[in-house]
Amino acid sequence: MIFKLFKILFFTTGTLQTSILILLLVFLNSCIAQFVPKVGEEKEVLVVQGLITDMHETDTIKLSESLALGQVDNLKPVQGYTVSISDNIGNIYYLSETAPGTYLTPSAFQGVIGRFYTLYVSSNSGRGSLNYESNPMEMKPVPPIDSIYYMKTVIEPAIGSFKGVDGCQIYLDTHDPSGVCRFFRWDFAETWILRLLFPVQNQTCWISDKSHSINIKSTAALNESRIARLPVTYITNTTDRLSRKYSILVNQYSLNEDEYQYWEKIQNVAVQVGGLYDLIPASVQSNLKCIEDPTEKVLGYFSVSAKSSKRLFIKDNFEGIIYRYGDCVTDTIGYVDPPGLGITVWILEDEPHFIPPFKVLTDKKGCADCTVRGSNIKPDYWEDK
Amino acid sequence: MKSKITILILALFFSLSLEAQEKYRISSDFNNLSFKEFTLKAEKLFSIKFFYRDEWVSRLKTGDLSDCLTLSCVMDNLFKGTTLYYIIEESGNIVITNRFAIKVSVAPSEKDNSFLPPNDYSGSGENQRSEGNMSINIGNPVERNKPGNVILTGYIRNKDTQEPVPGVTVFIQKLSVGTVSNEYGYYTLTLPRGIHSLQFSFIGMREKAINLNLYGNGELNVDMNSVLIPLKETIVSAQKSVTLQRFEVGAEKINISSFKLLPTSMGESDIIKSVLLIPGVQTVGEGSAGFNVRGGSTDQNLILLYGSPIYNSSHFFGFFSAVNSDIIKDVTLYKGGIPSRYGGRISSVLDIGSREGNRKEFAGNAGISPITTHVSLEGPIIKDTLTYILTARTTYSNWIFGLINYPALHNSRASFYDLNGKITYDLNKNNKIDLSAYMSHDAFRFNSDTTYAYNNNIVALKWRHFFNSRFFSSFSINNSFYDYKISSQYLTTEAFILSHRLNSTGLKADFNWFLGRNEINFGMDLTRYSIIPGSYQPYNDSSLVVPHTLQKERAWEGALYIDDKFLLTDFLSVNAGIRMSSFFTFGPQTVMVYNPAYSKSISTITDTLNYKTGSIVNKYGGPEFRVSLNFRISEKNSFKINYNRTRQYLHLLSNSTSISPTDTWKLSDSYIKPQIGDQVAVGFYEILFKNNFEASAELYYKEIRNMVDFKGGTDFIMDEHIEKDIVNVKGKAYGLELVLKKTEGKIRYSVGYTYSRTFIRSLSSFSEEIINAGKWFPANFDKPNDLVVTFNYIFSRRFSISSNYTWSTGRPITYPVATYHMYDDVLVHYSDRNKYRIPDYSRLDLSFQVNGSLRSHKLARPTWTFSVFNLLGRQNVYSIYFKKVGDIYTGYKLSVFGQAIPSVTFSFDF
Repeated sequence: MIFKLFKILFFTTGTLQTSILILLLVFLNSCIAQFVPKVGEEKEVLVVQGLITDMHETDTIKLSESLALGQVDNLKPVQGYTVSISDNIGNIYYLSETAPGTYLTPSAFQGVIGRFYTLYVSSNSGRGSLNYESNPMEMKPVPPIDSIYYMKTVIEPAIGSFKGVDGCQIYLDTHDPSGVCRFFRWDFAETWILRLLFPVQNQTCWISDKSHSINIKSTAALNESRIARLPVTYITNTTDRLSRKYSILVNQYSLNEDEYQYWEKIQNVAVQVGGLYDLIPASVQSNLKCIEDPTEKVLGYFSVSAKSSKRLFIKDNFEGIIYRYGDCVTDTIGYVDPPGLGITVWILEDEPHFIPPFKVLTDKKGCADCTVRGSNIKPDYWEDK
Repeated sequence: MKSKITILILALFFSLSLEAQEKYRISSDFNNLSFKEFTLKAEKLFSIKFFYRDEWVSRLKTGDLSDCLTLSCVMDNLFKGTTLYYIIEESGNIVITNRFAIKVSVAPSEKDNSFLPPNDYSGSGENQRSEGNMSINIGNPVERNKPGNVILTGYIRNKDTQEPVPGVTVFIQKLSVGTVSNEYGYYTLTLPRGIHSLQFSFIGMREKAINLNLYGNGELNVDMNSVLIPLKETIVSAQKSVTLQRFEVGAEKINISSFKLLPTSMGESDIIKSVLLIPGVQTVGEGSAGFNVRGGSTDQNLILLYGSPIYNSSHFFGFFSAVNSDIIKDVTLYKGGIPSRYGGRISSVLDIGSREGNRKEFAGNAGISPITTHVSLEGPIIKDTLTYILTARTTYSNWIFGLINYPALHNSRASFYDLNGKITYDLNKNNKIDLSAYMSHDAFRFNSDTTYAYNNNIVALKWRHFFNSRFFSSFSINNSFYDYKISSQYLTTEAFILSHRLNSTGLKADFNWFLGRNEINFGMDLTRYSIIPGSYQPYNDSSLVVPHTLQKERAWEGALYIDDKFLLTDFLSVNAGIRMSSFFTFGPQTVMVYNPAYSKSISTITDTLNYKTGSIVNKYGGPEFRVSLNFRISEKNSFKINYNRTRQYLHLLSNSTSISPTDTWKLSDSYIKPQIGDQVAVGFYEILFKNNFEASAELYYKEIRNMVDFKGGTDFIMDEHIEKDIVNVKGKAYGLELVLKKTEGKIRYSVGYTYSRTFIRSLSSFSEEIINAGKWFPANFDKPNDLVVTFNYIFSRRFSISSNYTWSTGRPITYPVATYHMYDDVLVHYSDRNKYRIPDYSRLDLSFQVNGSLRSHKLARPTWTFSVFNLLGRQNVYSIYFKKVGDIYTGYKLSVFGQAIPSVTFSFDF
């Protein structure tokens, strides 16, 4: 994981652990085997994911329940709660639930740097109603991102006629001349264009994805708040992100030191190397607590951050990128509608003027309709050049 | 030589005949001479030599001796009315003794009736039957009918090396009375007048019996012979009578010869590994540094070498003990009933007794094992007076790394060495000085860009002064230093050196005074600590790292103590003591003030207090009571009760299950209060089946206040405000330890079973600091069932087999029980702390020892030890951890020893 490499000290102890482990494996025939522990019933816990920024945009607080270990996805949203945010000068904003478990800030709300914000969440189930409250969190300023850039990496070198395989590492540089912002978090949204080979109706789409891991960094140990070559993401050849044109929007957030430590602890307990000196794992304390029962567990964090963003487009020639549509054509038939059209079979090519006319069919919808993976509406920030 | 009696009681073989003295017939004038003049004159006349102490005879004058025709007549006259006795040997040595007479009895022994009850004493020459070929008169026979008990004192030395032998059992079977010689080899017994048979026994020494006609107070000094052929030693037998006699509940002594027989993990005899076989001592797993005693954490053990604490007791991250077994004489573990002369740690004291150099001749030992090689040299510089011992041990694992054709390991290095040296100087009979030094170094390098190293150094100077045969003192000054250093050049802009350093200097004065039925110990202890918690420096100029050093911690720890061991009645003895302990931290120091309404965090700091250089920042301390009662129910069994309190001002900050190489030491400060431990223990001890078996049961309950625990996920490295991550917890532990030992014969074994529990409870009112809803939860090392079986079969002097088996409940563990999503990342939620357990632990070890040559004086005596660790190849789970593969967390188990580990060790003495 990227963040692990760049958390200096953790990295060191991590390396120490890994290397001691290797030592053990070599000298003592230590062994590692898969293990399925027997775990009893555990109660579901409220998870709060909340972020408000200083941007003039709608902020989202998401409430859900934890999932039993091994259970994949299927988020369990928590509905019908009352969610509000107050600041230290007496404003209260109520959020509205627009989708199950998703609560949005009103349009009047915009974070102001220097103010303290508190999140309130309460269940309205009458008897046994529970109220949760966050610590007051200060909104700290954030500097702009200086630059985002990428470097081609060689996954497999070119030999003779083989052109090799390339990957792409995206970095950013930033600095805060005032030195106020010492703790950073980044996430990103990426979009890339997909153009299907056949002249179908939805031939061109824009596919989007988001970051899937926490990326933080502190400059508290450095004599200036400067970050260089921070790895944002790494794109391998196993996706088609880089086949035509790719765009990434990186968001940079200021963190309170408390929040930085929250993420740091999350990483410490999540990234167990599995050596001799593992940290004693424990769920990391949220900045929210239940007022009625302080021992009740709450997961997640209410983040208050200033935000700055920067976008990068990449249009370059990367070798060895997988081609996902090489296996589309399943049949060619005469000029009749095949049975199951639009359900099990889709038309890739329709040639009524050909003699004899024919249709090219596929049994994969994704080959005939790019909206299976993305949207056919061009995003407004998209630059065609 | 003349002014000193070097050997008072020698080997039993010198003889004496009445006729012999008649050959010293005198004709010249011996009138009105001082004793000194008399001896000079007599030595000129005859080929004789006098042995005495000046102070005994300084006032003696020969007077008018015209009637005397023999030397013995002169001396009879001289010593009339004094407590002096003499003996004229055939060789011409005339030995003068004070308070006791040496007598050679020719009468054959008769076992019965050799003891006379004290109140019925009507002794005469005829009644002085003895079992051996010699019986000794002590005191003036005139006093034989006096009522009351008398006190016998003396010291015990090793005949070969002339070292004092501490820990010798002095036992009188008939009375079931005994004692153990103290640190200086001295012992004291309070006995009824009468005829007694004293047994002196010690591991590795030939047992000695001396018959005594005890008329009054006196001194009996004994030289014991070490057993030259190692395997014929009586390994544990010497301890049996002591168990009944000792005051402490839960004191265990391990002798070097017994632990050298134990199976090894990588060919190294390891003192900590043998300590782990003692009931009540546990570890979280193999290869973890440190041990847990009766529910205490690993930093609650005071490990003393040369009387000075060792701050990192392991090499190779826990696989070897930091102390080379070549310098160890014996090891005493106090897991309860800690004597009041020790303090500063809550759970136990592991006092490593170190050897002194051979006083008679040069000797050495060298050996080789799969990972290490060691050599030791010792001998006199001035015979019997000034001796040295030097030992060295090192690994050659770096060479092995070089051979490994695996890129990450080829450039890796892991090595350690340690050096020990000691010089002992006997200024005279009453003053003895020794200077000891210890140096150990571990270095580890991974893939040539990250290195890790740590050092332990100790220097200690000790002066022992004996005021007289009942009053001893010892003064020592020592310095112990520990540091570690991590450096990394992995990223050039962030290349750094991180270090931690602890330095302590201790002054100690101990007094040991035998006063009637009392043995009084008192003294003081003063230690200065200075700690650099962390220093983070740029590796070189291209690094952007800002040099940063966490503020230094300085403190003094002082203690005064006194305790008294006394016989209240024949069946009840008491040891009551108090240790006044205090602790001061000094400025310059900056202390953060937090808003008390919130859990401490960066955002709740309200103020900063600055203390000037030399000003006192914190004061802690108080009395610590240490009380033991020993009821002797009968000859064969006894019952003991004990209570003790201890305070601890120095803590090891560890947030991992076992001691990790980056753990740092921390002094108590404004937020981290001293830990206070209270323990009550009762024990029942019995000797069974003609002394062949020894059984004991000990029950304890312990409470620890102000223990330190941490908020989840905390990392302490370079943490400026540690208090914000610390949670105040309370601990309690209780347990029952049952032991059955067979201590005699060719086959010896012991079975120890322990049931013990250790719990922790968080005390804070802030939700961030509450663990498991504020309920009691099991500590990391809570392993309720623990079974240890050891087995020894000595089938000849050349071959022996040793084996041990351990089974215990798996330690508690916290499992991930749920996942949740944050910003499209899948995170884990953990169960309550230590809610689950890893599988049970079970291990069998076996070793086989062959002595190449039996003759002790052959030039090189080789010993081969073949050892198999984890013979059954069981993959005991050390840790269980979870890794995210895709979006799913999968569990893995790590077994440190994946299979049986055989090893061969070769060593030889020269």
